[in-house]
Amino acid sequence: MTELLLILVSTVLVNNVVLTQFLGVCPFMGVSKRLDTSLGMGVAIIVVMAIASLATWLFHYHVLIPLDVGYLQTVAFVLIIASLVQFIEIMLHKTSPALYRALGIYLPLITTNCAVLGIAVLNIRKQHSLLESLAFSLGAGLGFTLALWIFAGLRERLELSAVPKCFQGTAIALITAGLLSLAFMGFSGLVKV
Amino acid sequence: MNTAPTFRGGIHLPDHKRETHHPIETCTLPDQLVLPLSQHAGTPAQPCVAVGDRVAKGQCVATAEGEVSAPVHASTSGSVVAIEPRPHPSGRALPAFVIEPDGEERWATDLTPLEPRQWSPENLKQHIRDAGIVGMGGGTFPTHVKLTLMEQHSCDTLIINGCECEPWLSGDDRLMVEQGDKVLDGADILRQALGVQRTLIGIEANKPEAIALLRHASRKFDAMEVICVPSTYPQGAEKQLIDVLLGRQVPSGGHPANIGVVVDNVATAAAVSDAVRYGRPLVERVVTVAGPALATPKNLWVRLGTPLRTLVDQCGGSREEIGKIIVGGPMMGQSQLNLDTPVVKGTTGLLLFGSQDVSLREAGPCIRCGRCIAVCPLHLLPATITAYAERGRFDGALTYGALECMECGCCTYVCPAARPLVQMLRYAKAEIITRQKECLT
Amino acid sequence: MMTAILSLGAVALVAALILGWASRKFAVVIDKRETEIVAILPGANCGACGFAGCASYAAAIVAGQAKLNRCCLGGNDMIVRIAAVMHMDAHPPLPQKALVLCRGDNRATVMKYRYLGLRDCNAAQLLADGPKQCPDGCLGLGSCAAACPFGAIEITVGDLAVVHHERCVGCGRCAAACPRQVIALVPVSAMVHVLCRSHAKGAQVRRYCDTGCLGCGLCKKAVPEAYVVERFLARVDYDHADQAAQAVAVCPNHCIIDLAVHQLEKTEAQATL
Repeated sequence: MTELLLILVSTVLVNNVVLTQFLGVCPFMGVSKRLDTSLGMGVAIIVVMAIASLATWLFHYHVLIPLDVGYLQTVAFVLIIASLVQFIEIMLHKTSPALYRALGIYLPLITTNCAVLGIAVLNIRKQHSLLESLAFSLGAGLGFTLALWIFAGLRERLELSAVPKCFQGTAIALITAGLLSLAFMGFSGLVKV
Repeated sequence: MNTAPTFRGGIHLPDHKRETHHPIETCTLPDQLVLPLSQHAGTPAQPCVAVGDRVAKGQCVATAEGEVSAPVHASTSGSVVAIEPRPHPSGRALPAFVIEPDGEERWATDLTPLEPRQWSPENLKQHIRDAGIVGMGGGTFPTHVKLTLMEQHSCDTLIINGCECEPWLSGDDRLMVEQGDKVLDGADILRQALGVQRTLIGIEANKPEAIALLRHASRKFDAMEVICVPSTYPQGAEKQLIDVLLGRQVPSGGHPANIGVVVDNVATAAAVSDAVRYGRPLVERVVTVAGPALATPKNLWVRLGTPLRTLVDQCGGSREEIGKIIVGGPMMGQSQLNLDTPVVKGTTGLLLFGSQDVSLREAGPCIRCGRCIAVCPLHLLPATITAYAERGRFDGALTYGALECMECGCCTYVCPAARPLVQMLRYAKAEIITRQKECLT
Repeated sequence: MMTAILSLGAVALVAALILGWASRKFAVVIDKRETEIVAILPGANCGACGFAGCASYAAAIVAGQAKLNRCCLGGNDMIVRIAAVMHMDAHPPLPQKALVLCRGDNRATVMKYRYLGLRDCNAAQLLADGPKQCPDGCLGLGSCAAACPFGAIEITVGDLAVVHHERCVGCGRCAAACPRQVIALVPVSAMVHVLCRSHAKGAQVRRYCDTGCLGCGLCKKAVPEAYVVERFLARVDYDHADQAAQAVAVCPNHCIIDLAVHQLEKTEAQATL
């Protein structure tokens, strides 16, 4: 149990998926202009990451390893994650239009997201058990949401400042992200990994 | 002298009161008087005399239109030569009577004194309304409306505002010194019109003469107390005065009536006394004429509608090139385009500044020093609200309480980047209100 | 090798079957026309049509809640194509461009007071109706430029707004942002315009502007069918404007311009930026 909690905390804060591993920077920059949309994106990513990690873990240990085709990992994972996200989108559209309207626009963005694929691959590389990989992916999702949420708050404040013309737009956003990343380095002493 | 504790925020200004603390003189009669139909907050009055008519002093020339409005009275006898758009202190050309005086100063007889036995709250309210009395501290909110508002709320205290916290202005101070009995009499009449027991008179500590005189005179009245309040700008703002005197906070978006208080200016109280005792409507007021560019600062009794030029002439004209003309106090007053605008009911002062006194510094970017936040007496975040306003994000400005702002000018005064914070706040307020009206229709 | 191909193929097949089954089982009916219209619309999501983006405009068209001509980006071809999808008759409007009806920059006009406040025309207008003596002239503080989604408006050094017609799509946002209604939408084909909208009498205009319309009527005398003079202000009747250019030279205050000839002056304005 302690082990699982440790994984969870360390992935949220110490090995934050965006700010220390630099995965999923694209949606991090793209969907962080407003606090509410950033939260929507965060929730979508948590759900997809958890489901994708479970599916890819099962697939890896029950299909790829027995067939001795471990080198197909990346291709197979992309295929599985893409179909999974597509499936969730179709389901959501039918069963819960309200949730679809809130999260639906983010789902296609996640399909080809390196953070989701990265977490799935890392789970295998770190030789996590099924439960551990669930904790790991949940932690990564939460970490992503936290980073996105803080960053969206920063950008809302940034909108009110007089930014020099050459820094306006993506430039100042990247600088801010860099500073935020530096700040997250402060967590590195929190958990021994 | 014991002073009440102060409110949070505000600033200490060089008050320049010594320069202007002179006895009140009477202003000369100009060749033409311009009486705008809109001299009060609310709907402009409706003319009830025509061009060419002869009018007497104190005759009603325009009647109140609707509930929040006040009538206008001729401030001298003469003939109406025009009703046309004329320069108004607001900077726009608004409809006004142009009256050519005949020099006779013949008083009209429409408004009669009210006998003390007729002093029911209803009669007093009607009489104050007919006399065209509005808040003379500059707010120009019709006084009878304040009295009516009280009917919906239970009220316990009348506050008479003798703070006069703006620099230079000393008209209220002189009025209290010279006509203290009239001020207290007016306060007592207002108290009876409201039907409350207690009257508090708040005077800033920099007016010791007025405090001593009124303290002595107020012993004649029951439950009337003169309280010395600290000299901090904006002590004369009603929310701050209530806070200091009673420790009560006016709720957001509410009136002082919501917490059982009515605040009236000392000049308003004196005008009420004149109207009720002598049947004289509001036709003249005290105006402080001062400023670094003026030859001899004076306090003047001025007939409403007198062009500013007449006042300046009587004070010996300007001694240098005029760079800025301000009607009202230097903090909240309005800048004027020229000296053609008339004195209206809310004109507390006229200030002339030389071209050297005017700062032409361009506004710089906000450096987030937070001084505006430290001095805001309403505990707002001027820096944040104006940042939203500057970017056209009026939703954000509203969230941060732009509508609470009373435009006292403390934030602009302390801003080291010379940012036009009050202008942006006013702009935000105007835009928010127009949008809210659009939503309603 | 065969294992790899077969296993991956099998996975793909299973996934495809599941997705295919799901898309039928959980199918949501979307109006086909909506997707077609989204494909036709420019996809700029500029919001000039008044809807949240191209997709919501398309949805509004299909629902019959919006006219076909709200999008000013795509031009008339687009309207005809959308009309074909909707089986409606196309009534494409004449294409329009924004034009600032004022030439009074700070060299040509007199100011009422010195304005040092917020660079926003609407804010300046609240202060004694704006710092310009002329109650109708361009304030040049750039509210229109800030409102333009296409960067088509620039403010010259003389504090006057200028529309760059090659970038203007005629959406009319600038006209809505202007507190003085100085910006008008004019037909793209029209070349000759009266650049003034002050109804003040000639003597009054002379007092504060070197380039305002005096209402003298010389243009109407020169080309009677092309000009209308109402309340001391001339305007071009764009339906009969063929000969309007002949009056450019007679205007004593030079407020009639021919855009076909005056290109040079416009680039000068650009050069000063």
